[in-house]
Amino acid sequence: MSKYRFVGKGVERIDGREKVSGAAIYTDDLEFGPDLLYAEIVESSEAHAKIVSIDVTEAEKVEGVVQIFTGKDFPYKFGLYMKDRYIFAQDIVRFIGEQVAAVVARDPKAAKKAAELIKIEYELLTPVFSQMDAISENPVLLHPDLGEYPHVPWFFPKENTNIAHWRKTKRGDLDGGFKDADLILEETFEVPRYAHCAIETHVVISKYDYSGRLTVWASSQSPYTQRHLFAEALAPLGIKHKDVRVIAPHVGGGFGGKAGVTMEILAAALATKMKGHPVKIRWSREQEFYNTYQRLGVVAKLKLGLKKDGSITALQHQLYWDAGAYVEYGANVVNAVGLSATGPYKIPAISIDSLCIYTNLPPGGAYRGFGYSEFLFGLESLMDQAAEKLGIDAVEFRLKNAISKGDTLAYGAHMNPNGLKQAITEVAKEIEWGKEVVSIDPEKVLCKGFSLLWKAPAMPPNASSSAFIKFNEDGSLNILVSGMDIGQGYLTVMAQIAAEILSVPPNKIRVENPDTDRNPYEWQTVASHVTWSCGNAVKKAAIHIREQIFDLMERAFKVSKDNFYLEDDGVKSHLDPSFYLAFKDFVVFGIPMDDGSFRGGPITGVGTFLPEFSSAKSDPETGQGGHPNVHYTVGAAAVLLEVDKKSGQIKVLKAVEAIDAGQAINPDLVKGQITGGLLQGLATVLYEDMRFNDKGRLLNPNFTDYKIPTTKDIPEEIVPIIIEVPQPDGPFGARGVGEQTMIPVAPMIANALYNGLGIRIKSMPITAEKVAMAILEKEKN
Amino acid sequence: MVVAHDFLYQKPSTLLDALKLRAQYGEKCSLLAGGTDLVVNIKERRISPDIVIDIKGIPEFSILEERDGSIFIGSAITFTELIESPLIKSRVPIIAESAHTVASVGVRNRATLVGNICSAVPSLDSAPALLVYKTDVVVESVDGKRIIPIDKWFVAPKKTALQNNEIVLGVLVEIPNSENGTAYMKLGRYSGEDLAQAGVGIMISKNLEYKIAFCAVGPVPRRALKVEAFLNGKEFSSITNELSEIIQSEISPITDIRASKEYRRHMVDVLVERGIKLALSRLQGE
Repeated sequence: MSKYRFVGKGVERIDGREKVSGAAIYTDDLEFGPDLLYAEIVESSEAHAKIVSIDVTEAEKVEGVVQIFTGKDFPYKFGLYMKDRYIFAQDIVRFIGEQVAAVVARDPKAAKKAAELIKIEYELLTPVFSQMDAISENPVLLHPDLGEYPHVPWFFPKENTNIAHWRKTKRGDLDGGFKDADLILEETFEVPRYAHCAIETHVVISKYDYSGRLTVWASSQSPYTQRHLFAEALAPLGIKHKDVRVIAPHVGGGFGGKAGVTMEILAAALATKMKGHPVKIRWSREQEFYNTYQRLGVVAKLKLGLKKDGSITALQHQLYWDAGAYVEYGANVVNAVGLSATGPYKIPAISIDSLCIYTNLPPGGAYRGFGYSEFLFGLESLMDQAAEKLGIDAVEFRLKNAISKGDTLAYGAHMNPNGLKQAITEVAKEIEWGKEVVSIDPEKVLCKGFSLLWKAPAMPPNASSSAFIKFNEDGSLNILVSGMDIGQGYLTVMAQIAAEILSVPPNKIRVENPDTDRNPYEWQTVASHVTWSCGNAVKKAAIHIREQIFDLMERAFKVSKDNFYLEDDGVKSHLDPSFYLAFKDFVVFGIPMDDGSFRGGPITGVGTFLPEFSSAKSDPETGQGGHPNVHYTVGAAAVLLEVDKKSGQIKVLKAVEAIDAGQAINPDLVKGQITGGLLQGLATVLYEDMRFNDKGRLLNPNFTDYKIPTTKDIPEEIVPIIIEVPQPDGPFGARGVGEQTMIPVAPMIANALYNGLGIRIKSMPITAEKVAMAILEKEKN
Repeated sequence: MVVAHDFLYQKPSTLLDALKLRAQYGEKCSLLAGGTDLVVNIKERRISPDIVIDIKGIPEFSILEERDGSIFIGSAITFTELIESPLIKSRVPIIAESAHTVASVGVRNRATLVGNICSAVPSLDSAPALLVYKTDVVVESVDGKRIIPIDKWFVAPKKTALQNNEIVLGVLVEIPNSENGTAYMKLGRYSGEDLAQAGVGIMISKNLEYKIAFCAVGPVPRRALKVEAFLNGKEFSSITNELSEIIQSEISPITDIRASKEYRRHMVDVLVERGIKLALSRLQGE
C-alpha cells in the first residue's frame, strides 16, 4: 500500500475531459479577428549558396500582399546554447528549406501565391552532406566565423573547422585497460536522422502593439525560453523581457521538436514591422519535417576491452554527429552524449569523444532521448556481441557489469540510488529469458532481445522551475506553473504533488498551460525533468502554504503551530480530536476573532527549485571536475519478435520495459509513457527512413513515405514494469521517465535479430528489406 | 492547407454537360471523383488545371450492378462501397481484397477504383485485381462510346489510353464462369496504409488455369503471360528455379524510396508462391 494519499495513485488526468470533449483550445484554434495577417515563408532551394539577389517585383503585385521582408530587415542572431543563426538567412543559405524571405498578406492564399513569385538568384557553394566529409582534410567551411559565435562556457568550438563543439570525457588508464583485456571488440554503428512527427505542426501568432508589447501565442514546449530568446534577439528594437508575453495553449505533441525556438522567431520578428496586426505562421507538414529540428544522425566508433570473466576493462567511444546547418540547440545533444556514452555500466577506463559537426542538412536539435537512443544502439549491440564472444548469457553479462549506487560516473561524480539490477531481473523474468521459443510456421523465426537504458536530464546547471499556488474562496486551488503538458500528464502530476502536501484532492485543483505574464518561470519542458524539477517547486510552494496556515493557526488560536496538521480539506489538531477548520472557511476570508476582527487573508504559496549541486565546470580535455548531470534514470527492456525469414517483416509479439521512476507519482501515466515510448522507439528502428537526394533535399517530408506506426503496427502485448528506488532530491522520490522509455528499443530489436537469425545489423533503421537482404546475404556465404 | 492555384469548379448534373465541358477544356481539365490524388496534386503544384469537373453529381457514375454476366463499377464508386458490396465479395472477391489494402479507411471512403486506374501509377492496387479478370474500361466522349480492354489501358507510368476529350464511365468486369480461387498479395513497409512495394494478383480456376498480374515491379501493371503459360495445367507445390527465371524475366522493378529493385525481385517470387498457395486453399474452400 502506498504511504501517500494522492501520490502513487492513478488519478484521472485533469486535462482529460477537456481534451476528450473537444473543449481544449490549441494554437491554431485561436481567433484574432479581421486584423490578422498571414505570413508565407520563402525557402532556400539550395543547400549551400550565396544569395546574390532577391527580386520581389512580381510578388508585390499580388492582391492582398501587405509587405515582403528579407534577411536585411532583421540582421539579428539568435540561439539557445550558441548564437549561430539569423532570423532570416543573411548572405548565405546553409540548407534546403532555410527561411530567406517572408510575404505578409491578408490571406494565406495571397501570401503563398506571392511567395511563389519571388525570384532569388544564388551563387552556388560546395555543399557538405556527411559529417565525415565535413571533418576530412581541407573541408569546405560552413561557418568561417565560428570562432566569434557566442556560446555557453561548456562548449568547445574548433575555429577554422566544421566542429562546433567537441566534448571529451576521459577517465582511467585507457591503454592499460585495453592491454589487460582478453578480448577487444571494435565496431562502427550508424544512426540516421529522424523527425518528431507530432500530429500538430508548429503554429505561431505574434502581435506587436502600439504600446511596445510583443505577445506570442505558440505551440510550444518552452514558453519562458522562447520569451528569453525573443527578448534577446529583438533587444536592438528596445524590447525588454517584461514587454514580451508568451501564451502557450494546449500542444498536439512535442517530443522535443517544440523546445527551444525555431520558426516562432519568424512571427515574433515580422510582427515588430506590422504594428497592431497579429501575424500568423502555420507550418505545413513538409516544413515540419525540414525546418524545425531533426534528430541528429551519428556515426559511432566503439572499442571495448573485456576480461574472460566478462568484466569490462576499457571503452573508447567516438561519436561523429551530423548536426546540420545550425547547432544552437543540437550541440547540447552532442554534449550530453559526451558525458554519458558509457551507458549504465561500471567501466574503469573510459575515453569519449563526441563531436558536433556542421553539415548542409536541416538543423539538428532536441528529440526525445536527446542522443541516448543513438549511442545506445551501438553500445548495447556491442555489449551483446561481447557477451556472446565470451560465452556469457546477455542478461548475466549485464547484471555483472551494471552500474550501482555510488559507482564513479564517466565525469567523476557518483551514481545516484537506482534499481537497475531489479529492472534487469524483472524484465528477464517477464520475457522468460533463456526459455527457447520456436515458431510453428517454418517460414518464421521467434527470437528475443535485451537492452538496458539510461538517461540523465541534459540541462544547464542553473535550469530552474518555480510555482505559485493560490487558494480560492471554496478551498479549491489554482496552481500556476510554466511547464507544458505535452501529453505526458504533467499538469495532473503537479496537482497530485500539491494535493499530497495540502490534503486537497486533485479534482479540486486546476492547473493550466502557461502565460508568461501570469505564471512563474520554468526553464523548458524537456530533459524529462519537469516532474522532478517543477514537482520540487510545487512541493515547496505547497509547503509554503502549509507553513502559513500553521502560523495563522498559532496566531488565531494561541496554540503552538506544531500541534496542527492538514487532512480532509482542512486543518486538524493533535491536541483536540474535535478540532476541524475547513479551508473554505478561512483561506481567503480569514479567521474571525471574538472582537469581530479577522486574522489571515488570501493564502498563496511560492516555490522555487534550482539544483544547486550541479555544475558544468570541468577540465575541457577530460571532462572531470563538474557535476553536469543531476541524476540518471535507468531501466531494462526486452522483446519477443516473430520474423518472416523471406520478407524480413517483423512483428513484435511482446515488449517488456522496466523503468526506475523513483516514485511513480501517477503509475497510469508512467505506464502510458512506457507504451508511447516503446512505440516511438519501434517506429525509429522498424519504419522511419529519412532520405535525402544528392542535392541535400529531403525526399520524404510526408507520411506517404516517412512511416510512423498505425494501430495495426503496435505490439501484441506490452508489459510496463515500474521500479521505485527513490531519488533523494526528487518530489516524494520521483525522477523523470518520459524520454527514457524509447531509448532501449533499437538495440533490443537488433539483438533479437542476431539471436534468432545470426544477422548483426549495424545501421538504423532495421526495415524489413534490410533484414531480408541480410538473411539472403548470409545464406549466400 | 492552402491551395494557391486558381481554377474553375463545375459540377454538372448530366453526362452530356460533363462531356461538353471535357471537350471544351481538353487537357486543361481535371476530373474529380474521390479527389484523394487530385487535390494533393493541385496543392503540390504537380498539376494546374484551368477547370475541375466534379462528376459525382451525375447518376450514371454511381452505378454498381450486374449486367449480363459482368459487373459494372461506375466511376464514382468508392473503395469502401466495393468492400461492402455482397456482389463484389461473392463474384469477384479479389477486387474487394485489393480494395481493402488501399490507403486507410478515411481515404477509402472517398477514393474510387476508377480514379485509381486513371492515376495509372505503377503501384496501383486495383490493377492486378482487374487484370486477372476480363475487364473493359468504358469511356465516352461527345463523339461516342469506346471500350478499352484493361490490358491496353496502362500505357506508361501515370499515362492511360484515355483521350483528353473522354471521361471514364466505369469498368465492366466479366464474372468468371468457372469456379476459382483468388488472392491479392501486397508488400508494404508496415501494416498501416502504404503504397505497394510490390503487388501480385492471382486467380486459379478449377481446371488449373492461372491468371497472374503484377504491380509496382515495372513501369505499368501487367499480366505475366509467360508465367501463366508455364503454370497452366500444372499442380503447384513451390517456386522452382525454372519458374523463378520466368517470373524474373517478366518484371523490371526499379529502386526508389520504397524499395530496392533487388528486394522487389526477391519478394515477387515469395509473393507469387504464397499467393498461389493462398488462392489454391481458397479454391479448395479451406
